[in-house]
Amino acid sequence: MRTSDFIELLARDVRAIPPGVVNRKLLAALVAGGAVTLAIVALGLHCQPLLAAAQQPWFWMKAAYTALLTVAGVVILRRLSVPGAKVGAAPLTAALIVLAMVALGAAQILSVAPADRVALWLGRTWKVCSPLILLLAIPIYACLAVAIRRLAPTRPALAGAAAGFAAGALAATVYGLHCPEQAAAFVATWYTLGVAAATGLGAIAGARLLRW
Amino acid sequence: MPQQDQTEERLRPLMIRSLEGDSGAHRQLLGALGRYLRGYFARRIGSATAEVEDLVQETLLAVHLKRDSYDRSLPFTPWAYALARYKLIDHFRRRSRSIQVPLEDAGALFAAEDAEEGALRTDLDRLLQRLPDRQRSLIEDVKLQGLSVEEAAQKRGVTAVSARVMLHRSLKWLNQALRDENE
Repeated sequence: MRTSDFIELLARDVRAIPPGVVNRKLLAALVAGGAVTLAIVALGLHCQPLLAAAQQPWFWMKAAYTALLTVAGVVILRRLSVPGAKVGAAPLTAALIVLAMVALGAAQILSVAPADRVALWLGRTWKVCSPLILLLAIPIYACLAVAIRRLAPTRPALAGAAAGFAAGALAATVYGLHCPEQAAAFVATWYTLGVAAATGLGAIAGARLLRW
Repeated sequence: MPQQDQTEERLRPLMIRSLEGDSGAHRQLLGALGRYLRGYFARRIGSATAEVEDLVQETLLAVHLKRDSYDRSLPFTPWAYALARYKLIDHFRRRSRSIQVPLEDAGALFAAEDAEEGALRTDLDRLLQRLPDRQRSLIEDVKLQGLSVEEAAQKRGVTAVSARVMLHRSLKWLNQALRDENE
Protein backbone atom coordinates (compact mmCIF):
# COMPACT_ATOMS: atom_id res chain seq x y z
CA MET A 1 0.00 0.00 0.00
CA ARG A 2 1.39 3.37 -0.95
CA THR A 3 1.94 5.78 1.92
CA SER A 4 -0.42 8.35 0.39
CA ASP A 5 -3.17 5.70 0.17
CA PHE A 6 -2.45 4.67 3.73
CA ILE A 7 -2.89 8.27 4.88
CA GLU A 8 -6.26 8.38 3.09
CA LEU A 9 -7.27 5.28 5.02
CA LEU A 10 -6.14 6.77 8.35
CA ALA A 11 -8.01 9.99 7.57
CA ARG A 12 -11.25 7.96 7.52
CA ASP A 13 -10.68 7.03 11.16
CA VAL A 14 -10.60 10.43 12.86
CA ARG A 15 -12.51 10.78 16.09
CA ALA A 16 -12.54 13.88 18.25
CA ILE A 17 -10.40 13.48 21.34
CA PRO A 18 -11.48 15.57 24.32
CA PRO A 19 -8.79 17.52 26.22
CA GLY A 20 -7.55 16.03 29.48
CA VAL A 21 -7.57 12.40 28.33
CA VAL A 22 -4.07 11.81 29.73
CA ASN A 23 -5.01 12.97 33.22
CA ARG A 24 -8.25 11.02 33.23
CA LYS A 25 -6.53 7.78 32.22
CA LEU A 26 -3.88 8.12 34.91
CA LEU A 27 -6.43 9.07 37.55
CA ALA A 28 -8.67 6.14 36.64
CA ALA A 29 -5.70 3.76 36.93
CA LEU A 30 -4.74 5.15 40.34
CA VAL A 31 -8.30 4.87 41.61
CA ALA A 32 -8.78 1.33 40.29
CA GLY A 33 -5.41 0.03 41.50
CA GLY A 34 -5.68 1.94 44.78
CA ALA A 35 -9.12 0.43 45.42
CA VAL A 36 -7.77 -3.11 45.02
CA THR A 37 -4.86 -2.36 47.36
CA LEU A 38 -7.21 -0.72 49.86
CA ALA A 39 -9.46 -3.79 49.79
CA ILE A 40 -6.48 -6.07 50.43
CA VAL A 41 -5.34 -3.94 53.37
CA ALA A 42 -8.83 -3.56 54.87
CA LEU A 43 -9.90 -7.19 54.44
CA GLY A 44 -6.60 -9.06 54.48
CA LEU A 45 -4.39 -7.14 56.87
CA HIS A 46 -7.01 -5.15 58.84
CA CYS A 47 -6.68 -1.51 59.67
CA GLN A 48 -5.38 -0.30 62.98
CA PRO A 49 -7.91 1.60 65.15
CA LEU A 50 -8.09 4.61 62.87
CA LEU A 51 -9.94 7.06 65.12
CA ALA A 52 -7.25 6.80 67.78
CA ALA A 53 -4.42 6.79 65.25
CA ALA A 54 -5.74 9.87 63.46
CA GLN A 55 -5.19 11.90 66.61
CA GLN A 56 -1.48 11.10 66.63
CA PRO A 57 1.07 13.22 64.80
CA TRP A 58 3.06 10.15 63.69
CA PHE A 59 0.06 8.88 61.72
CA TRP A 60 -0.03 12.07 59.68
CA MET A 61 3.74 12.22 59.39
CA LYS A 62 3.65 8.84 57.63
CA ALA A 63 0.65 9.75 55.50
CA ALA A 64 2.19 13.07 54.46
CA TYR A 65 5.51 11.46 53.51
CA THR A 66 4.03 8.76 51.31
CA ALA A 67 1.29 10.99 49.86
CA LEU A 68 3.88 13.60 48.81
CA LEU A 69 5.95 10.86 47.19
CA THR A 70 2.84 9.63 45.37
CA VAL A 71 2.16 13.09 43.96
CA ALA A 72 5.78 13.48 42.84
CA GLY A 73 5.72 10.01 41.27
CA VAL A 74 2.51 10.66 39.35
CA VAL A 75 3.85 13.99 38.03
CA ILE A 76 7.01 12.24 36.78
CA LEU A 77 4.97 9.40 35.30
CA ARG A 78 2.66 11.77 33.47
CA ARG A 79 5.60 13.54 31.88
CA LEU A 80 7.17 10.24 30.82
CA SER A 81 3.89 9.07 29.26
CA VAL A 82 3.62 12.09 26.98
CA PRO A 83 6.19 12.15 24.17
CA GLY A 84 8.43 15.17 24.14
CA ALA A 85 7.43 16.46 27.59
CA LYS A 86 10.32 17.50 29.82
CA VAL A 87 10.65 15.58 33.08
CA GLY A 88 11.99 18.71 34.79
CA ALA A 89 12.75 18.99 38.51
CA ALA A 90 10.14 16.52 39.80
CA PRO A 91 12.67 13.69 40.46
CA LEU A 92 14.77 16.18 42.41
CA THR A 93 11.70 17.12 44.45
CA ALA A 94 11.07 13.43 45.18
CA ALA A 95 14.70 13.01 46.26
CA LEU A 96 14.41 16.04 48.56
CA ILE A 97 11.27 14.62 50.18
CA VAL A 98 13.12 11.35 50.88
CA LEU A 99 16.14 13.25 52.21
CA ALA A 100 13.94 15.29 54.54
CA MET A 101 12.39 12.08 55.89
CA VAL A 102 15.80 10.46 56.35
CA ALA A 103 17.01 13.58 58.18
CA LEU A 104 13.96 13.46 60.44
CA GLY A 105 14.60 9.78 61.15
CA ALA A 106 18.27 10.36 61.84
CA ALA A 107 17.49 13.23 64.21
CA GLN A 108 15.06 10.99 66.06
CA ILE A 109 17.61 8.17 66.36
CA LEU A 110 20.20 10.58 67.74
CA SER A 111 17.71 11.98 70.26
CA VAL A 112 17.23 8.68 72.11
CA ALA A 113 19.66 6.79 74.32
CA PRO A 114 22.10 4.59 72.31
CA ALA A 115 20.68 1.43 73.88
CA ASP A 116 17.20 2.19 72.53
CA ARG A 117 18.23 3.08 68.99
CA VAL A 118 18.03 -0.32 67.32
CA ALA A 119 14.60 -1.05 68.80
CA LEU A 120 13.34 2.32 67.54
CA TRP A 121 14.76 1.72 64.08
CA LEU A 122 13.50 -1.84 63.63
CA GLY A 123 10.18 -1.43 65.42
CA ARG A 124 8.26 -4.70 65.58
CA THR A 125 7.45 -5.17 61.92
CA TRP A 126 10.59 -4.22 60.00
CA LYS A 127 10.85 -7.64 58.38
CA VAL A 128 7.42 -7.49 56.76
CA CYS A 129 7.08 -3.76 56.05
CA SER A 130 9.04 -3.38 52.80
CA PRO A 131 7.90 -6.70 51.26
CA LEU A 132 4.26 -5.90 52.03
CA ILE A 133 4.52 -2.46 50.45
CA LEU A 134 6.07 -4.08 47.38
CA LEU A 135 3.26 -6.64 47.14
CA LEU A 136 0.57 -4.01 47.67
CA ALA A 137 2.09 -1.96 44.85
CA ILE A 138 1.45 -4.70 42.29
CA PRO A 139 -2.25 -4.00 41.60
CA ILE A 140 -1.56 -0.27 41.27
CA TYR A 141 1.43 -0.87 39.02
CA ALA A 142 -0.61 -3.19 36.82
CA CYS A 143 -3.35 -0.59 36.34
CA LEU A 144 -0.81 2.17 35.68
CA ALA A 145 1.05 0.00 33.17
CA VAL A 146 -2.14 -0.68 31.21
CA ALA A 147 -2.96 3.05 31.21
CA ILE A 148 0.42 4.38 30.11
CA ARG A 149 0.93 1.69 27.51
CA ARG A 150 -2.12 3.19 25.80
CA LEU A 151 -0.45 6.56 25.98
CA ALA A 152 3.04 6.71 24.50
CA PRO A 153 5.98 6.22 26.88
CA THR A 154 9.02 6.76 24.68
CA ARG A 155 11.42 5.65 27.43
CA PRO A 156 9.84 2.39 28.67
CA ALA A 157 12.29 1.57 31.46
CA LEU A 158 12.14 5.07 32.93
CA ALA A 159 8.37 5.16 32.64
CA GLY A 160 8.27 1.76 34.36
CA ALA A 161 10.45 3.09 37.18
CA ALA A 162 8.15 6.09 37.62
CA ALA A 163 5.08 3.83 37.61
CA GLY A 164 6.73 1.58 40.21
CA PHE A 165 7.65 4.59 42.33
CA ALA A 166 4.13 6.04 42.20
CA ALA A 167 2.57 2.60 42.82
CA GLY A 168 4.93 1.93 45.74
CA ALA A 169 4.27 5.33 47.32
CA LEU A 170 0.49 4.97 47.01
CA ALA A 171 0.68 1.40 48.34
CA ALA A 172 2.73 2.69 51.30
CA THR A 173 0.08 5.35 51.96
CA VAL A 174 -2.63 2.69 52.07
CA TYR A 175 -0.38 0.40 54.14
CA GLY A 176 -0.17 3.22 56.71
CA LEU A 177 -3.81 2.49 57.56
CA HIS A 178 -2.67 -0.91 58.84
CA CYS A 179 0.87 -0.35 60.04
CA PRO A 180 1.06 0.78 63.69
CA GLU A 181 4.72 1.75 63.63
CA GLN A 182 5.30 5.25 64.91
CA ALA A 183 8.98 6.06 64.50
CA ALA A 184 10.20 8.45 61.82
CA ALA A 185 13.39 6.35 61.60
CA PHE A 186 11.29 3.29 60.85
CA VAL A 187 9.33 5.03 58.09
CA ALA A 188 12.44 6.64 56.59
CA THR A 189 14.05 3.22 56.26
CA TRP A 190 11.49 0.51 55.67
CA TYR A 191 8.80 2.48 53.85
CA THR A 192 11.43 4.04 51.63
CA LEU A 193 12.98 0.65 50.95
CA GLY A 194 9.59 -0.74 49.87
CA VAL A 195 9.07 2.17 47.48
CA ALA A 196 12.63 1.79 46.17
CA ALA A 197 12.09 -1.93 45.49
CA ALA A 198 8.87 -1.14 43.61
CA THR A 199 10.78 1.46 41.57
CA GLY A 200 13.52 -0.99 40.60
CA LEU A 201 11.18 -3.82 39.69
CA GLY A 202 8.92 -1.35 37.91
CA ALA A 203 11.84 -0.33 35.70
CA ILE A 204 12.71 -3.94 34.84
CA ALA A 205 9.09 -4.82 34.06
CA GLY A 206 8.54 -1.54 32.21
CA ALA A 207 11.42 -2.16 29.81
CA ARG A 208 9.43 -5.15 28.51
CA LEU A 209 5.79 -4.31 29.21
CA LEU A 210 5.68 -0.70 28.14
CA ARG A 211 6.69 -1.08 24.50
CA TRP A 212 4.05 -0.29 21.95
CA MET B 1 15.54 28.11 15.27
CA PRO B 2 13.08 30.15 13.18
CA GLN B 3 12.53 27.45 10.56
CA GLN B 4 11.36 25.05 13.23
CA ASP B 5 9.10 27.73 14.72
CA GLN B 6 7.46 27.99 11.32
CA THR B 7 6.97 24.24 11.20
CA GLU B 8 5.45 24.37 14.66
CA GLU B 9 3.13 27.20 13.64
CA ARG B 10 2.06 25.26 10.58
CA LEU B 11 1.60 21.80 12.13
CA ARG B 12 0.26 22.53 15.61
CA PRO B 13 -3.04 24.04 14.39
CA LEU B 14 -3.47 21.00 12.13
CA MET B 15 -3.00 18.69 15.13
CA ILE B 16 -5.47 20.67 17.23
CA ARG B 17 -8.05 20.46 14.45
CA SER B 18 -7.32 16.77 14.00
CA LEU B 19 -8.02 16.27 17.71
CA GLU B 20 -11.32 18.08 17.20
CA GLY B 21 -12.21 15.45 14.62
CA ASP B 22 -11.30 17.30 11.39
CA SER B 23 -10.23 14.57 8.98
CA GLY B 24 -9.01 17.05 6.35
CA ALA B 25 -6.58 18.56 8.85
CA HIS B 26 -5.57 15.06 9.91
CA ARG B 27 -4.80 14.10 6.31
CA GLN B 28 -2.75 17.27 5.80
CA LEU B 29 -0.87 16.70 9.04
CA LEU B 30 0.01 13.08 8.25
CA GLY B 31 1.03 14.07 4.72
CA ALA B 32 3.46 16.70 5.99
CA LEU B 33 4.77 14.42 8.74
CA GLY B 34 5.30 11.63 6.19
CA ARG B 35 7.54 13.88 4.10
CA TYR B 36 9.60 14.92 7.14
CA LEU B 37 9.80 11.36 8.50
CA ARG B 38 11.06 10.06 5.15
CA GLY B 39 13.92 12.53 5.19
CA TYR B 40 14.73 11.91 8.85
CA PHE B 41 14.78 8.09 8.63
CA ALA B 42 16.73 8.17 5.36
CA ARG B 43 19.42 10.28 7.04
CA ARG B 44 19.56 7.87 9.98
CA ILE B 45 19.41 4.43 8.36
CA GLY B 46 20.49 5.18 4.79
CA SER B 47 18.25 6.28 1.94
CA ALA B 48 18.90 3.14 -0.11
CA THR B 49 17.20 0.93 2.49
CA ALA B 50 13.74 -0.36 1.74
CA GLU B 51 13.01 -0.08 5.45
CA VAL B 52 12.71 3.71 5.32
CA GLU B 53 9.22 3.71 3.83
CA ASP B 54 8.11 0.89 6.15
CA LEU B 55 9.25 2.94 9.09
CA VAL B 56 7.42 6.01 7.75
CA GLN B 57 4.16 4.05 7.56
CA GLU B 58 4.66 2.48 10.97
CA THR B 59 5.33 5.87 12.54
CA LEU B 60 2.35 7.49 10.81
CA LEU B 61 0.19 4.72 12.23
CA ALA B 62 1.65 5.37 15.68
CA VAL B 63 0.98 9.11 15.34
CA HIS B 64 -2.57 8.25 14.32
CA LEU B 65 -3.21 5.81 17.18
CA LYS B 66 -1.37 7.78 19.85
CA ARG B 67 -3.06 11.14 19.39
CA ASP B 68 -4.45 10.67 22.92
CA SER B 69 -1.01 11.26 24.34
CA TYR B 70 -0.62 14.75 22.88
CA ASP B 71 -1.06 17.47 25.48
CA ARG B 72 -2.55 20.54 23.79
CA SER B 73 -0.71 22.86 26.15
CA LEU B 74 2.67 21.65 24.83
CA PRO B 75 4.33 22.30 21.46
CA PHE B 76 3.64 19.74 18.73
CA THR B 77 7.02 19.25 17.03
CA PRO B 78 8.80 17.76 20.12
CA TRP B 79 5.89 15.31 20.47
CA ALA B 80 6.21 14.18 16.86
CA TYR B 81 10.00 14.01 17.13
CA ALA B 82 9.82 11.87 20.29
CA LEU B 83 7.50 9.40 18.53
CA ALA B 84 9.76 9.25 15.46
CA ARG B 85 12.87 8.74 17.59
CA TYR B 86 11.12 6.00 19.57
CA LYS B 87 10.22 4.20 16.36
CA LEU B 88 13.80 4.53 15.12
CA ILE B 89 15.23 3.12 18.38
CA ASP B 90 12.68 0.31 18.22
CA HIS B 91 13.75 -0.41 14.64
CA PHE B 92 17.40 -0.78 15.68
CA ARG B 93 16.47 -2.81 18.75
CA ARG B 94 14.51 -5.32 16.69
CA ARG B 95 17.51 -5.80 14.47
CA SER B 96 19.66 -6.24 17.57
CA ARG B 97 21.81 -3.36 16.51
CA SER B 98 22.93 -1.40 19.51
CA ILE B 99 23.10 1.93 17.78
CA GLN B 100 22.80 4.95 19.98
CA VAL B 101 20.22 7.40 18.71
CA PRO B 102 21.24 10.80 20.02
CA LEU B 103 18.55 12.85 21.73
CA GLU B 104 18.44 15.91 19.53
CA ASP B 105 16.34 18.97 19.14
CA ALA B 106 13.02 18.35 17.35
CA GLY B 107 14.57 20.22 14.42
CA ALA B 108 16.38 16.98 13.53
CA LEU B 109 13.07 15.61 12.29
CA PHE B 110 11.90 18.75 10.56
CA ALA B 111 15.09 19.53 8.65
CA ALA B 112 13.85 18.67 5.16
CA GLU B 113 10.78 17.29 3.40
CA ASP B 114 10.96 14.42 0.95
CA ALA B 115 7.82 13.68 -1.05
CA GLU B 116 9.29 10.80 -3.08
CA GLU B 117 7.86 7.55 -1.68
CA GLY B 118 10.38 4.73 -1.46
CA ALA B 119 10.06 0.99 -1.94
CA LEU B 120 8.31 -1.06 0.75
CA ARG B 121 9.40 -4.28 2.32
CA THR B 122 6.19 -4.99 4.19
CA ASP B 123 2.99 -4.51 2.24
CA LEU B 124 0.18 -3.36 4.50
CA ASP B 125 -2.37 -4.68 1.99
CA ARG B 126 -0.94 -8.15 2.48
CA LEU B 127 -1.25 -7.86 6.28
CA LEU B 128 -4.80 -6.56 6.00
CA GLN B 129 -5.73 -9.71 4.05
CA ARG B 130 -5.46 -11.55 7.36
CA LEU B 131 -8.28 -9.57 8.95
CA PRO B 132 -11.64 -11.27 9.51
CA ASP B 133 -13.93 -10.95 6.45
CA ARG B 134 -16.21 -8.23 7.76
CA GLN B 135 -13.35 -5.94 8.70
CA ARG B 136 -11.45 -6.66 5.52
CA SER B 137 -14.38 -5.88 3.27
CA LEU B 138 -15.04 -2.65 5.17
CA ILE B 139 -11.46 -1.56 4.57
CA GLU B 140 -11.70 -2.50 0.91
CA ASP B 141 -14.87 -0.45 0.49
CA VAL B 142 -13.28 2.53 2.14
CA LYS B 143 -9.87 2.24 0.56
CA LEU B 144 -10.37 0.85 -2.92
CA GLN B 145 -13.79 2.24 -3.70
CA GLY B 146 -13.24 5.46 -1.79
CA LEU B 147 -16.52 5.21 0.11
CA SER B 148 -16.97 7.14 3.32
CA VAL B 149 -17.30 5.03 6.46
CA GLU B 150 -21.01 5.88 6.55
CA GLU B 151 -21.52 4.74 2.95
CA ALA B 152 -19.59 1.55 3.55
CA ALA B 153 -21.63 0.88 6.67
CA GLN B 154 -24.85 1.29 4.74
CA LYS B 155 -23.63 -1.02 2.00
CA ARG B 156 -22.74 -3.73 4.49
CA GLY B 157 -25.85 -3.25 6.59
CA VAL B 158 -24.19 -2.19 9.83
CA THR B 159 -24.55 1.02 11.80
CA ALA B 160 -22.09 3.84 11.15
CA VAL B 161 -20.94 3.64 14.77
CA SER B 162 -20.03 -0.03 14.59
CA ALA B 163 -18.33 0.51 11.21
CA ARG B 164 -16.22 3.24 12.79
CA VAL B 165 -15.34 0.97 15.71
CA MET B 166 -14.45 -1.82 13.28
CA LEU B 167 -12.18 0.44 11.25
CA HIS B 168 -10.39 1.71 14.36
CA ARG B 169 -9.93 -1.83 15.68
CA SER B 170 -8.58 -2.94 12.32
CA LEU B 171 -5.94 -0.21 12.46
CA LYS B 172 -4.98 -1.17 16.01
CA TRP B 173 -4.75 -4.76 14.86
CA LEU B 174 -2.59 -3.63 11.94
CA ASN B 175 -0.22 -1.90 14.35
CA GLN B 176 0.20 -5.15 16.28
CA ALA B 177 0.56 -7.23 13.10
CA LEU B 178 3.24 -4.84 11.87
CA ARG B 179 5.16 -5.21 15.14
CA ASP B 180 4.91 -9.00 15.07
CA GLU B 181 6.01 -9.04 11.44
CA ASN B 182 9.16 -7.11 12.21
CA GLU B 183 9.97 -8.75 15.55
